[in-house]
Amino acid sequence: MQKYEKLEKIGEGTYGTVFKAKNKETHEIVALKRVRLDDDDEGVPSSALREICLLKELKHKNIVRLYDVLHSEKKLTLVFEHCDQDLKKYFDSLNGEIDLDVVKSFMYQLLRGLAFCHSHNVLHRDLKPQNLLINKNGELKLADFGLARAFGIPVKCYSAEVVTLWYRPPDVLFGAKLYTTSIDMWSAGCIFAELANSGRPLFPGSDVDDQLKRIFKLLGTPNEDTWPGVTQLPDYKPLAAYQPSLGLAQVVPRLPARGRDLLTRLLTCNPALRMPADDAMAHAYFHDLNPSVKNDRC
Amino acid sequence: MAPTRMASKTISVNENLNGISHGITTRSKQLASLKNYKDNLKAPNKRKADSPLKDMTAKRAAFGDITNAFNKSSANHDKDKVMPAKKVTVESKMLPTVKSIKPQTAAVNGKASKTKQLQKAASNAIESVQKHFAKDPPKVVATRSQNGILKNFEKKSLGKENQSQNSAKSAKSDVSEPSLYLTALENISPNETTKDGYKVISEKLNNVNLDDTVNKSLDEETCEQHVVPEGVSDFDKENWNDPTQVSNYAMDIFNYLKSRESLYIIDDYITRMKGITTWMRALLIDWMVEVQESFELNHETLYLAVKLVDLYLTRSSKMLPEKEQLTKDDLQLLGASSMFIASKFDERIPPLVDDFLYICDGAYPLQKLLAMEIKILQVVDFNLGIPLSYRFLRRYARCARVSMPTLTLARFVLEQCLTEYALASRSDSKMAAAALYVALRMKALGGWTSTLEYYTGYMLKDILPLVLEINATLHKKPKSAISTVRNKYSHAVFFEVAKVPLVDDAVLSS
Repeated sequence: MQKYEKLEKIGEGTYGTVFKAKNKETHEIVALKRVRLDDDDEGVPSSALREICLLKELKHKNIVRLYDVLHSEKKLTLVFEHCDQDLKKYFDSLNGEIDLDVVKSFMYQLLRGLAFCHSHNVLHRDLKPQNLLINKNGELKLADFGLARAFGIPVKCYSAEVVTLWYRPPDVLFGAKLYTTSIDMWSAGCIFAELANSGRPLFPGSDVDDQLKRIFKLLGTPNEDTWPGVTQLPDYKPLAAYQPSLGLAQVVPRLPARGRDLLTRLLTCNPALRMPADDAMAHAYFHDLNPSVKNDRC
Repeated sequence: MAPTRMASKTISVNENLNGISHGITTRSKQLASLKNYKDNLKAPNKRKADSPLKDMTAKRAAFGDITNAFNKSSANHDKDKVMPAKKVTVESKMLPTVKSIKPQTAAVNGKASKTKQLQKAASNAIESVQKHFAKDPPKVVATRSQNGILKNFEKKSLGKENQSQNSAKSAKSDVSEPSLYLTALENISPNETTKDGYKVISEKLNNVNLDDTVNKSLDEETCEQHVVPEGVSDFDKENWNDPTQVSNYAMDIFNYLKSRESLYIIDDYITRMKGITTWMRALLIDWMVEVQESFELNHETLYLAVKLVDLYLTRSSKMLPEKEQLTKDDLQLLGASSMFIASKFDERIPPLVDDFLYICDGAYPLQKLLAMEIKILQVVDFNLGIPLSYRFLRRYARCARVSMPTLTLARFVLEQCLTEYALASRSDSKMAAAALYVALRMKALGGWTSTLEYYTGYMLKDILPLVLEINATLHKKPKSAISTVRNKYSHAVFFEVAKVPLVDDAVLSS
C-alpha cells in the first residue's frame, strides 16, 4: 500500500469506499477501492469476487480498467484506472443544454462497452449515470461491476433484485428472474433519454408501482398481445391500461427522428423484442457519428 | 432404517483401497446434529427468501433448476449413505488422519463413524430404502422436512416441483412426457412459441441500413457475422426468437471461451507433489460431487471448483516455496474452499461459509478456510472465468439436437472423467466433444456429423485419441470409494444413464 498516496475520497461503490490516489513512483493517478475482510464474515464478498474476476477479463476502451488487486491483512484493495468524473457529475456541471454530438458519442461508447460485455458473457445489471465514467478526452467507460455476473447459455434464473429502480426494466420490475442481455439494454435506453435531456432522468419513480406507472404512461401498458407471458410474471399486477402516448417527441424534444427510433427500440417493454447492443450500434442514428469515435479501438 | 443401524458400528475393511475411512454419522443422528448446528445459522432463511417462480418466462430456468431439485430428492435418498459432512480420510499412510469434529457434533460423529466400505456393504440395504422412497416420495419429504438445514432444501424442491407442474401445464410446446419428469430437465428443443416481433424489427432495421452508406466493418469487433457452412443446421438462427439462448452472442461467447482455454493449463502436477496422490484427488473430487448434490449447487459450480483445485495444485507447486505447499492434511480444505469460491461466483444464493465448515466435519477452523480462499484467489490471480467442459457440452448437444437422455449420458461420461487425474489436463472443449461422441456411440446414434464438426471445431480424428482415453476410464473397474457419480446417474431422474452398456474401442473407432 506504500506504493500509493491517498488523495481524496471519491465515493462509495456497491461495496467499499473509493479513493483517488497517486502512484508514488509513476505519479499516475488511480482510483482505489477498498474491500474489508472480516474474520467473522463470509470471506471475500461475492460482489467483489465477481467484479474483480469479470473486470480482469473485460479489457476494453469503454470499460474501466482494473490494474491490480492488492491483498493485505484484513483487506483487498482494487486499483482502477482513474476517470475525471462520472456521467451524473458531468450532467450537474453542464451549463445549459448538452451538445447533441456528445449525446451520440457517449451513447455509442456505452453501447460498444455493453456489446463487449455481452459478447463476453457478462451482464452489468446496474447501469446508471453514476456508474459511467467520463474522462477529459470524452471517453465513456462502464464501471462498478459489483452487481455484474457471468451468464451461461441458456441463461438461468438470477436475482430479481438488480438495477437501480429508475433504470430497471419492466420485466424485472414484475419480478422476472429469467432475464438476459436485454436487462442492460433497457437501462441504456433510459440513459439515452437522460443524455438527450441534459441529465433529466426519464422515469424517476418513487417505488416499483410508480416506476411501472411512469413507464406505461409513456409506452402504453403491455398486455398478452404485445408481450406474451407478461401476466405470468411473479410480481405481475394489472395496472391501468394506458395507451401509448406517442409523445416521444415531447419527452426528448432535442433528439432527431432516428434517435427517437433507436430510443423506442431500446425502451421496449417486452424484453424479447428489445434491441441488443450490437444491433443498436449499427442503427441509422449513428451513421453520421464522428468517425474518430467509431474507429476508436480498445 | 437399515443403513442407520448398520452405520452405528465400525468395521475395518481390508481392501486394496488403503482402508479409506469416513466419519459418517447415522442418518437420524446426523440430521439431529445438523439441526442443532444449523439452528443458529442464517442459511435456511436466506434460502427461503428465494421463492419459487410461477411465471411463464421463468419456465425454462425452472426446467433447468428442477434438475437440481430432483437430483436433490434423489440425493436425499442417497444421503443415507452419502451425507457430505465427513472428512475425507484415509489411514495414516495415505491420507490425512481423522480430524476432530466440531464440539457439538463430536460425540455423535465419533460414535457413529464407519468406513466407506461399510457403506458399500450396506448398499443393498440402501438400495431397498431408495426403492422404498421412490415408491413413496412424500413420506421422505415429510420426515426430512422436520430437520434443520435440509428442511429448507426440501421446501425449495417442493416449491420447484409445484412450480414446474404449473409451468408444465401452461407450456404448450415440448410437453410429451409426464410433466414432472420433463420439467426435471432442460428444454432442449427450440422454443416453438416464436415471437416474430423482433425478427420484423431487425428486418426493418436492416432495410434502413441498406439505404445508408454505413461501413459496417468499422464495428467488426462486435458485429461479426457467422456464416454456417452448407449442410449444417444454424442452431442460433433457429433459436433467434428465444431470448434465453442469447443467440446473437452465442457463437462469439463460445469462440471466446475456447480461445481462453490455453490460459488455464493444468500440467502433470502430481509429480511435484509430496504425499498427494492421484487416488487422493479422486477421493476429494468424489466428495465434491456429494457436496454439489447436497447443497443443490449448479454443475457449473462443481466443474469450476474442480478446476480451481487442479489449477491451484498446478500453479502453487511451481510458485510457492516448499514450506507453503499444500499438504495432504489440507487437501479437503482446498476442495471446500474451491467449492466456496465457485459458489460465490456462480450461485444466485451461495451456501454460507458455515455450511462449508460443516461439510468438512469441523476439521478446519473458519480462519483457515478464509485464508485458503484468499490463497486460491491469489494463485489463480482472481481469474474465475475458466472455460468449463460442462458448458461446452450443453452447447454442442443442443446444436446437434441430441435428446435429453443422450445429453445426460454424455454428462455422466464427463463427470466420471472428473475423478480421473490423467484427463484433468485435457482441453475442456475437447473433453466435451469427446464425451458427447462416446455417448452418441453408446446409444448407437451414429457418429460425428458436419454440424458437430462446425460447432465444436473438431474433426473426429482430433478427438479420437481422447475418446479412447475416456472409454478406458469408463471401463475401469468401479471402485467403491468413488461411486458418487455412478450412484447419482443411476437414478431415474438421470434416466439411469449409468446403466447404459459400455462399448468397445472398435465401435468408437469405426
